[in-house]
Amino acid sequence: MIKFLLIGLIRDKSRSRIPVIVVSIGVALTVLMHAYITGFMGDIIEINARVTHGHLKVMTAGYSENMQQMPNDLALTDVSSLTEELRQKYAGVEWSPRIQFAGIADVPDENGETRTQGPAMGLGLDLLDPQSPERERMNLEGSLVRGSMPGKANEVLLIELFSRKLDVNPGDRITFIGSTMYGSMTIHDFTVSGTVSMGQEALDRGMIIADIGDVRIALDMENAAGEILGFFREGFYDDEIAMENAAAFNGADGGNAKDLAPVMKSLSQQGTMGSYVGMTKSWSAMISMVFIIAMSLVLWNAGLLGGMRRYGEVGIRLAMGEDKGHTYRSMIYEAVMIGLAGSVVGTVIGLFLAWLLQKYGIDISGIMQGSALMMPTVIRANINPVDYYLGFIPGLISTVVGTMLSGIGIYKRQTARLFKELEA
Amino acid sequence: MLQNRHLVFRQQSGSGKTTMLNIIGSLDIPSAGEVTVLNHSIGSLTQKEAANLRKKSLGFIFQSYNLFGVHNVFENIEFPLLLLDYTAAERKKMVMEALEWLGLTDKIRSKPPQLSGGECQRVAIARAMVKKPSLVLADEPTANLDAANSHNILRSMEALNREFKTTFLFATHDDKVISYLRRKIFLDDGRIVNDELTGN
Repeated sequence: MIKFLLIGLIRDKSRSRIPVIVVSIGVALTVLMHAYITGFMGDIIEINARVTHGHLKVMTAGYSENMQQMPNDLALTDVSSLTEELRQKYAGVEWSPRIQFAGIADVPDENGETRTQGPAMGLGLDLLDPQSPERERMNLEGSLVRGSMPGKANEVLLIELFSRKLDVNPGDRITFIGSTMYGSMTIHDFTVSGTVSMGQEALDRGMIIADIGDVRIALDMENAAGEILGFFREGFYDDEIAMENAAAFNGADGGNAKDLAPVMKSLSQQGTMGSYVGMTKSWSAMISMVFIIAMSLVLWNAGLLGGMRRYGEVGIRLAMGEDKGHTYRSMIYEAVMIGLAGSVVGTVIGLFLAWLLQKYGIDISGIMQGSALMMPTVIRANINPVDYYLGFIPGLISTVVGTMLSGIGIYKRQTARLFKELEA
Repeated sequence: MLQNRHLVFRQQSGSGKTTMLNIIGSLDIPSAGEVTVLNHSIGSLTQKEAANLRKKSLGFIFQSYNLFGVHNVFENIEFPLLLLDYTAAERKKMVMEALEWLGLTDKIRSKPPQLSGGECQRVAIARAMVKKPSLVLADEPTANLDAANSHNILRSMEALNREFKTTFLFATHDDKVISYLRRKIFLDDGRIVNDELTGN
């Protein structure tokens, strides 16, 4: 009998191939959509991570308590050995020292007198090392408006709006006036190599982006850094792993660290990012659930129609003496086979498409030009372990439930009624 | 029901022909009175018992053949035997015999869409007869066939009736069909108005 059913299933395209295709498409869409939503929502977190928070951040305990004030007097020291230690301990994380600073940008005239000046935020990161991922991480080349990327020491990028405000062009000199790590005044000359527009209101106000080596010299921070940012090599923030890493680091190195002892914080442990991560998770789950429910209804309906379409065949089988329960169970077995096949095929296709979207992404920078939103310029999917089985909810369960419901008709109808439908 | 007979219900449309066949075939139960088929009171059978009766003792032949379209001739005829749990070797032997009775051995691997109407109906007869049931119910079995095919089909059924002592019960209003049958019961509005027995 199993052979008879299998032959029917294989030979009858409308019973096997078409339902499998329908289920596959539904499952593939579900998997792709879930990975896409997770990736998109995660991308918003990623922007914050790349610019300021990192997936993980190591800083001194004192710096951590007053992070908003960028207290470089509490910066990490002996950063090269600490970074090396972090690289060895956390192989799945890329570590990048950074210095955030603030001061005044002064633009001199041809006589060296102040022409214009304004308050400026600064970000020191590794710009000159060709192996450094920081340029790409910050998408600086893609954000370049005028001029070129810094190619040598003391060359900096200015935010385009800020450069207009100061009336500074690429090639012009600006003087940074601020305080060193030790509290004394510092005056340091930089040359503007280019201007960038980050497309994000928070960053486009007024910022100098400089190589960390130059900033160290300017702020007298030899082998020091305000913070060491950690980024997961997978490219996406994983709150659980980040929290585990932070707890392990702080546990090993003393949770109640003194001011200058290093501590690690996950992105969600920094400022208001925790609530944002929570909100992102719940939104992602809600949107995915709505889609899964919609897909489930479609596949449920497909299962329902598939079952009802076979009342004629059921009529013949019952007339020949097949027990109703046996007929019903055989329909469910078929639905399980179709649901399983469709779910496996759909999951493979969905994962492949999601992988493409994760690897290559969709560049929406053209649409995002001039936007003040902290939105990603490249939309990427993010494949999670849940994507490997998520599609089975609509693919298998809904198909089987749909068939089960349609099969109830076999019980509810008199055998003679099925027989009549068969004759019709 | 009388065994080993070739009999017919003759009736006009709407006179209760299908209902009668459904009840005799244990597909339906009588709302009043009692119907006994092969010593089984149809009204008192459970669903499982009714299915069992159909599986073991009844065969059905439909006006529109109702073969499984994606299964070949062999597989269509084999289906009732699958329900009876015969071994593969037994099934093969029985199906080959049925194919020989109906002259279908050269069509063994053909599928219903590749067969003519007459061939389809012969397959349907072979499927009904393969388990050698006590009673075969045929609802307008020649309605979709031309005269020559109708003749052949009816001759085949007549031969099977004689050889296996299987009772064939036809429901029809076709005089040509009726002329082949020995007992004729005339129904009008659900009631028997005449019951004729002719020949042997």
